[in-house]
Amino acid sequence: MTVYDVELTLLEDTLRKTMTTRSGADLDTALTELGWHDMLTEMSDLAVPMVFRLLGETGAHGPFLNDVVLAEAGLPVGGAVRLPYTGGSWVLWDRTDKATAPQYSGTLDSELPLQVVDAGSPVPLAAGRRALGWWLTGTSRAMLSRARTHALGRAQFGRPVAAFQAVRHRLAETLVGIEGAEATLAAATDDLGSLLAKAAAGQAALTTARHCQQVLGGIGFTAEHDLHRHIRRALVLDGLLGSARELTREAGATIRAEGSAPRLVQL
Amino acid sequence: MNVTEFRAGLRAWLEDNDLSAGPDHSLDGQVAQLARVRGALYDAGWMRYGWPTEVGGVGGPAVLRAVLGEEVATRDLAEPGIYSMIEVLAPTMISYARPELAAEMVPLLLSGREQWCQGFSEPGSGSDLASLTTRADPRGDGNWVINGQKVWTSLAQYSTRCVLLTRTAPGHGGITAFFVDMNTPGITVRPLRTMHGVDEFAEVYFDDVVVPEDRMLGRPGDGWRVAMDLLPHERSTCFWHRIAYLFTRLDRLLTQSDTATSDDGDLGAAYLALHTARCRSHATQRRLADGAQLGPETSIDKVLLATAEQRLFDTARDLLPGVLELGENEWRTEFLYSRAATIYGGTAEIQRNIIARRLLDLGAE
Repeated sequence: MTVYDVELTLLEDTLRKTMTTRSGADLDTALTELGWHDMLTEMSDLAVPMVFRLLGETGAHGPFLNDVVLAEAGLPVGGAVRLPYTGGSWVLWDRTDKATAPQYSGTLDSELPLQVVDAGSPVPLAAGRRALGWWLTGTSRAMLSRARTHALGRAQFGRPVAAFQAVRHRLAETLVGIEGAEATLAAATDDLGSLLAKAAAGQAALTTARHCQQVLGGIGFTAEHDLHRHIRRALVLDGLLGSARELTREAGATIRAEGSAPRLVQL
Repeated sequence: MNVTEFRAGLRAWLEDNDLSAGPDHSLDGQVAQLARVRGALYDAGWMRYGWPTEVGGVGGPAVLRAVLGEEVATRDLAEPGIYSMIEVLAPTMISYARPELAAEMVPLLLSGREQWCQGFSEPGSGSDLASLTTRADPRGDGNWVINGQKVWTSLAQYSTRCVLLTRTAPGHGGITAFFVDMNTPGITVRPLRTMHGVDEFAEVYFDDVVVPEDRMLGRPGDGWRVAMDLLPHERSTCFWHRIAYLFTRLDRLLTQSDTATSDDGDLGAAYLALHTARCRSHATQRRLADGAQLGPETSIDKVLLATAEQRLFDTARDLLPGVLELGENEWRTEFLYSRAATIYGGTAEIQRNIIARRLLDLGAE
């Protein structure tokens, strides 16, 4: 490992620890103190995937998508910007902690301070889609980890349910989806690549939610197990800046109009 | 030579040297075309990049072979499945044959002068390859005697040589590989009729076939390792070639499907699946180039590729209504062949078993 790799590992440990204890506006403050704004300008290729993947893995949240979109638009970070949501809606990711206020109670994931607003101005979406893609794969890994632990610990018919092929194949299929999405994210640079990566990550998260909920059985349907928090997050994040279904259709329209399918990665 | 120089030089050469296939799409025609393409590329040097000088290559990184295969597939110069067989056969010889044998034989394969086949599967040993029963017994005079039957042996009827797995003792450690001349007395090849109408697979019978000991690949008992070592080759370069071929079929679908019946959601899903397989394969190529040992994680590449291939041809059938049912054409052949994508090279179920056991650490079944 180089000195730089060591520093990245330390940064990841610090971020993970911080996100385990802090969330929302509190995490916003903490990340600002850790130099989030500098990371965005100096090392966004490394920092954005790391921060958003860890949000998913830890289950924390924060208004950082605003910063990614603002930075790509060349605007000052730290504020909030109206973001397109699937189905033609627009939302604002509030930077203050009003997550429990009544006006937000309509969001499926009630922890997120998302507010439905009037249509905003067009903003560049590629960087935001990549960031959300990493968040979705992080959330997926959190779900997979819970389902795996459950499958190994839960015994029925005298053996762990992880020993049953039907269960194993669901979890294998889940990992295939997640790793495929991560490959598209790692390769994404331009608009189309980012669109495809967000679609792959959204699709992986929906597949993961379905398989992991099934593997967790009854306990995964209770509020006392935290799987439902990750499922809610995956469903809400999938719609932000375009759902998997919407983006896939858009990709199809693009290649049909061009008459050929771009090969976006080259050896 | 780096990738960029290689690709540019190769493209320019292919512009000047038309290797397009003729009108004969029969298997005989495909195999003849493959030999012609390999021969021309070998004589011009392109086929020799990425292979060691000891076996007729000119050296350079292995990724150049992936680039060559992509250019061949993109131009439809050779059927990608049989073109890629070289990627598992040649590395096996380089790793396990006596150096003199590899030096003598591998150039015959690279230059298209010979076709070889791979005798692994048996009627009783498909997914459970390690249960194979084709026997090899030492005769005591420096020769081994082989008896048994192989099946799904691609191109056996065209092959001069065969990389063959045999049983010499019980268990995984009792499998031994040989490099067998197909004209040895006692070998009978019977092509199988397949669903898609291209009889590339054959049954191969071995009745008291005598093979000299110096044709053994590795040592007695190395056979399982031979089989496992070729997986990384199959799942890196071969997959890259196949993905390049599938992209050409997606392009063809885009130009042939009627806008009125085209469904952007279906087209997008086919593209997304192919793009995902390509990104994953790209990462695998990178790791290989960096000297990584490829292992069970390539089962993910396999599942992504097989899923993408079937989705693409399902989409083609949906968006070209009646085309493959009512007329004989390439869409029909290729659609039918895509049904096998989740069966050959380790079934989708075996891949998921490997992912569950080795990558997710879910313990034994």
